[in-house]
Amino acid sequence: MTQRISRRDFLKIAAAGTAAGLSPEVRRIALEPFVRPPEQVLPGQDTWYASTCRQCPAGCGIIVRVINGRARKIEGNPLHPLNHGKLCARGQAGLQLLYNPDRLKNAVRQAGGRGSRQFDPLPWAEALDLLAEKISTLSNPSRLAFWGGLMPDHLYLLTSRWLDAIGAPPPLLFDLHSALEGRSAASRASQLFFDTPELPLYDLARAEVTFSFGANFLETWMSPVSQNHAYGMMRQGQFGGRGFMVQFEPRLSATAASADEWVPLRPGAEGFVALALGRIIVEERLGHVGSHRPHAVLYQDVDVREMAAASEVPVESLSRLARVFADADQAVAIPGGALAGQRNGLASMLAVQALNLLVAQIGRLGGVFLSQPAPSPAMKETAHGDSFERALELIDRMKAGEVDLLLIHGANPRFELPAAAGFAQAAARVPFVVSFSPFVDETAVAADLILPDHSYLESWGYQIPAPSADRPTVSSQQPVVQPLYDTRSTAEVLLALGARFGGKAAEALPWPDEFAFLQESASALQGSSLGAYDAETQAGFWALWRQHGGWWTEKELPREPEVTGIVGQPLPIVAPSFEGEAETYPFHLYPYPSLGLSDGRGANLPWLQEMPDPMTTARWATWVELNPVTAESLGLRDDDVVRVVSPFGELEAPVVVYPGIRPDVVAIPVGQGHTDYGRFAERRGRNPLELVAPVTDPDSGALAWGATRVRLEPTGKKVELARLESLDGAGRESTGGS
Amino acid sequence: MAQGAKARAGLRPAPTDEAVRRWAMVVDLDRCTGCQACLVACHAENNIPLAGEKQAAYGRWMHWIIVQRFWEGEYPNVKARFMPLMCQQCGEAPCEPVCPVFATYHNPEGLNAQIYNRCIGTRFCGNACPYKVRTFNWFRPEFPEPLTEQLNPDVTVRSRGIIEKCTFCIQRIRRAELEARAQGRGVADGEVSPACVQTCPPGALVFGDLNDTSSRVSQLAHSRRAFRFLEELGADPAVIYLKGGETDV
Repeated sequence: MTQRISRRDFLKIAAAGTAAGLSPEVRRIALEPFVRPPEQVLPGQDTWYASTCRQCPAGCGIIVRVINGRARKIEGNPLHPLNHGKLCARGQAGLQLLYNPDRLKNAVRQAGGRGSRQFDPLPWAEALDLLAEKISTLSNPSRLAFWGGLMPDHLYLLTSRWLDAIGAPPPLLFDLHSALEGRSAASRASQLFFDTPELPLYDLARAEVTFSFGANFLETWMSPVSQNHAYGMMRQGQFGGRGFMVQFEPRLSATAASADEWVPLRPGAEGFVALALGRIIVEERLGHVGSHRPHAVLYQDVDVREMAAASEVPVESLSRLARVFADADQAVAIPGGALAGQRNGLASMLAVQALNLLVAQIGRLGGVFLSQPAPSPAMKETAHGDSFERALELIDRMKAGEVDLLLIHGANPRFELPAAAGFAQAAARVPFVVSFSPFVDETAVAADLILPDHSYLESWGYQIPAPSADRPTVSSQQPVVQPLYDTRSTAEVLLALGARFGGKAAEALPWPDEFAFLQESASALQGSSLGAYDAETQAGFWALWRQHGGWWTEKELPREPEVTGIVGQPLPIVAPSFEGEAETYPFHLYPYPSLGLSDGRGANLPWLQEMPDPMTTARWATWVELNPVTAESLGLRDDDVVRVVSPFGELEAPVVVYPGIRPDVVAIPVGQGHTDYGRFAERRGRNPLELVAPVTDPDSGALAWGATRVRLEPTGKKVELARLESLDGAGRESTGGS
Repeated sequence: MAQGAKARAGLRPAPTDEAVRRWAMVVDLDRCTGCQACLVACHAENNIPLAGEKQAAYGRWMHWIIVQRFWEGEYPNVKARFMPLMCQQCGEAPCEPVCPVFATYHNPEGLNAQIYNRCIGTRFCGNACPYKVRTFNWFRPEFPEPLTEQLNPDVTVRSRGIIEKCTFCIQRIRRAELEARAQGRGVADGEVSPACVQTCPPGALVFGDLNDTSSRVSQLAHSRRAFRFLEELGADPAVIYLKGGETDV
């Protein structure tokens, strides 16, 4: 019997076929668009799907415009409580990750050995056989190590359960982005101060006075879109007058450029300034919170003059700023990532946090709150990130030959770690290395097997934003297009391995696929009276979950922190220390995350390469920022190539004469210097991590990436740095012209 | 001048609803943080080619919106300020009368439109523009496969030899207008957002009809902080800047 198929029927069948192809199992899964399209969907008409951005760990909600099965534009999800429909430059560039010409198209084995760059395609069945064989032939499961990085929470949960079930150590989560924003140190500080690992939430939007200590919260720190949004409100929002913001840091960052005042201080002296401000407030009984008596003990050992001398911030300035802070109705002090990058990082962070306590801004409007944890016990295992100390321990184990199988996901340690930490040498001693990277990055090049994960626009998942929005939130992730290539979700790989091994591993991961696992996780929130939406049936709830791009409560739900007993004793006063003798290495090296490239993970996206750095307007390159006086004393001008030498390495890059940096500080953006990672990233600029000492703050274990000294050697060479602005005006408005 | 205006008026089609509109953008410099989200969003929406490192080193760029940074003072009392700059969509646009082929023309909604397939690449408009916001395609744009998949089907990919610039995302304006017309209503305030406005994290950019007295744009345009860039040139820009504030403490 022949049956005529109408055009509409044909489209329906075609759509069903498309949806079914998304899951590796043969089952029918319908994609849930952000807006339900009208009945008569026409080819060429756009459909929007809600998902979650994975360009950084913030977890912003996105909606993606899809036309004829192709993703064409990413926007912020207007319903999402974290980013309110807004998106940053990196989020906007997500399409170039999906459609990147240098993506791996299938699983590969490096046939000619590591570093040979001879990648032989491997069918997934064989690849999984190989991996399963490597795992089952381990003499002891403790000889397996999993190095993770920017990992969505659902994958973290699956990974930890799987590793636990097979008896392997838990995953190590360490990537440079997290180190530069001081994530693990912030979590540790929160533990000490508020007795919880959840990150503090600073109510910038409603703060009258904001003191930011090395927090580049308008660039890459923590949740930049949410913080930019709050900043806009602080400046010209509905909360009354215009706020006042002071940035304390050795180099004027783009965040400091938006501040009302920039206070340059010696690297590592941020805590001293905070202690001095606190001491002045207590001693002179400033502000309007009544008695400072209970907090006097915090500052009993602090000498304001000593602190002023050590930080090189004059006593008069400190005294004035202490009044500004204490007199405000709502003031907030933020301990940023640059603090964590010093060897006295934790002490500095505590000193800054104590300022909030002093003016009674803990749990108050325009003050400090706590991030909301996962709203459901089913999702409570979330990734907090590990310290560099833990990373060094694993490297030591690898060096000692105690690791036989290394799995790496979402991190690029060969690029991101200080070269002197010796990851490359340690990994060479591991008999088998597997990378899950969708690109051939520096670490994947030294792997035996690459099992490329999907890009985030092709993936399922969820993420508990940390720091959170102003309410409990889960951002959900769903594929907006069919996977372009024969890549496979790492979660599916783990589930397949679980099923293959049976026993404990299968019990720990009882789901037939990633989809079923997520459906079950989501339904734990069904029936909550707090939710912004609810449904009668599980299927209905699941549809709304994907349609909204997650779940959150209808109303704002602030979480007030409780301060621990730490405030009963004097705050620690710890002097910073640096690697390299001051006589031989007279300058402080100040690496900072690039706004577009972050820690280097954005370097393969041409839009981000072409995007000018906001302060120098430079593109496609690495440069060295010097104070005009320093540059002149060395006879260096813009575009002159300088050699920067540390006790651990050296690099050459062109100079940018930068008016906003201390004369004893040399700043270099992180992000370039890739030897692999695709055509847009390779052989461009240098990686300042080659110079950085692999040292930690002993109290937090965090990487002290700002604790290295360097010297400068002019080379006599000159290159033309690609920058947007002309050097004629040197970035200044002038009437004279040139 | 009056004669020139009349001659141009002759080119305009008969007045419609759109004729009473004047699309305008407000840039609040007090909110702008220089985060560059607008620039990347614009690249993505408008299929803007890249200059590449070599051309970039010659000082060339293809961005339709840039964020200028100005230094003030010397260390340690130094400040940096940001100022986004895009086509100012002038009412008396210096770029228009110089185009020999009417590729650059004034549309009924007060926009400076660029008709790509009329452009013959004289670059007169680029030279006449006092804001330096017009870019010229010296090369054929390259999108290594499969980066072509990222292209917005609503926007033409420009070929070599023609000038391009910010259009206020005219494709989004047209879409909203068509939709509104189909539903028998006017375009509501806030219904149209160019890509830069939609993504701007601190909410520094606002877009709307300047002739609608109730729109956010026209209300902000009356702010005491409002000014127009190089106002003395008399080009009558449709971009209104709000200057940054100071807080007394």
